[in-house]
Amino acid sequence: MQLTDEEKRILDGEQGYLAQKCMQFLVAYGEAAGAERLVDIDGTADLHPGMKSSWIPDYHITIEEIEEAAKRGEKFKVPTFANKPIAPGFLVDGWENCGTWPNSDPEYHKKCMRNIQPYIQMGMIPTLSCDYYLVSSYSPTVGQHCSWGESSAIPWANAILGARTNIDGCFQTAYLGKVPAYDMHLSENRIATILVESENELKTDMEYDLFGWAVGEAVGLEVPAIVGIGKPTTSQLVKMNSSLNTGGEVRMYHVPGLTPEAPTLEAAFNNKKTNKRITITRNDLKRVYEMLNYAENDNVDFIFLGCPHYNIQEVQKAARLLEGKRCRTNLWVMTNPWTYKIAEMAGYKAIIERAGGNLLSGTCAGEMRGELPPTAVMATDAAKQNYYITGHAHPKKLQVWYGTTEDCIQAAITGKWRGEWRY
Amino acid sequence: MTSDRNSIILRGRKVIGGIAEGEALVSKKPLMGWGNVNEKLGFTTERNHPLYEVPFKGKVLVFPEPRGSGGFMGYGRTRAFGTNPAAFIYRKGCNLTVFAAMIAKIPTVTDFDLDPLEVIETGDYVIVNGDEGIVEVIKKS
Repeated sequence: MQLTDEEKRILDGEQGYLAQKCMQFLVAYGEAAGAERLVDIDGTADLHPGMKSSWIPDYHITIEEIEEAAKRGEKFKVPTFANKPIAPGFLVDGWENCGTWPNSDPEYHKKCMRNIQPYIQMGMIPTLSCDYYLVSSYSPTVGQHCSWGESSAIPWANAILGARTNIDGCFQTAYLGKVPAYDMHLSENRIATILVESENELKTDMEYDLFGWAVGEAVGLEVPAIVGIGKPTTSQLVKMNSSLNTGGEVRMYHVPGLTPEAPTLEAAFNNKKTNKRITITRNDLKRVYEMLNYAENDNVDFIFLGCPHYNIQEVQKAARLLEGKRCRTNLWVMTNPWTYKIAEMAGYKAIIERAGGNLLSGTCAGEMRGELPPTAVMATDAAKQNYYITGHAHPKKLQVWYGTTEDCIQAAITGKWRGEWRY
Repeated sequence: MTSDRNSIILRGRKVIGGIAEGEALVSKKPLMGWGNVNEKLGFTTERNHPLYEVPFKGKVLVFPEPRGSGGFMGYGRTRAFGTNPAAFIYRKGCNLTVFAAMIAKIPTVTDFDLDPLEVIETGDYVIVNGDEGIVEVIKKS
């Protein structure tokens, strides 16, 4: 890899031990990835604060090193936002009544909050969410180089914003403001490689979730140009992105007329012809729906909503569905800490709690691993959470239903799963 | 590297150097992490996956590509429990496979002239030269 003179000096330790250690990581990473150089981040960075903000143990920056850097007054080089804290599964809000351990322990909460302080002192904005990009109030713009993480966030940066990122946000990239320039940072890797046509216009949130999965599964690491989907809402884009990057590994896509790098279909393909095309049909969506309904017992005992973390409109919707009702099952509605505060102000939190549900923020069922309310049969409205959760639960055989938000809340109220394919 | 009439040579790009050999364990389906790889026991816990609970310790793990979360790193963290594969071979990757390989510190090769999923079958004996980006496949008879 070709380094600039300044980068070589950092590697030689001229800017101190911590910068040197971070540069050693970037060089090893860049070389393994086949990058030819580093690029300065002119957009933003995202990292998981807490115990592990590095990807590779050999280059791990210890909490003590971060505390010392914070004491010296050092700052992250670029605007840096916090993904979920890896604690693991640290609930930022609503922990007092979550009924699980260790999150319900005030000492645990204090310790986790203490652990992220040095990051905050260094300038990390405590968005503390997998969809930090929805609440960060500061986003990168077209062409800016970033270093982000998180399934739903990566296509948000690349496709929706037109910024450029791989899945590598960490302490080191934020601290140096640099990242290996390869893959999604290079224009040639962002051009569409396959045309994906939706047979039907998509309307509901669930259709976008299922469509994202079907496309991801079909195209893997390709860059699809997607046509025929309709006019997605913010919630629908977030769901589709999350599924694109779970059913497959779609970091970047184009929707002509919607995403900034594709004013037209021709522009998505950079005016090159392609024969690669697929059509996603109603049956494809149904097949994914059936695959996600990994359950037989309709007696549900735990409902998890908020993957990716619910935005304010989704929290409002949940609250409306729960108003004046009473849940028979445990119901967790997960959001990000910023939306939590607005939901509290708007009274949604009170409505959810009066119905016997929990409004929480900062983590999710999968991230909390075993630390969930006792459950044998759960339900969720998110393909990502649904699919991963059975792996997290292994060797326990967890059953999990998948459906609309309405199906899930209905199940919370009645204790019975009554979701079905209605298209 | 020697080659006899039963072996096939694949040329690719080095991700992590070093030399390792072993029996191939081939997943036609992409691999995913985030709780769906059991690092301690060294197998996938992804439901419906053809390699569900099939240990990959000491095998040359061949797969088409990663999918999903940054939690794919779990494939690398198997190193800490001694359940890691002997080598990684994959058709196409991204920084998730790079990170997993850096954590596992095992010979890793990708971007081949021939599709490794077409050439290699479970049970073939595979010699991975990460330094040269060369993989020799001795077909099981």
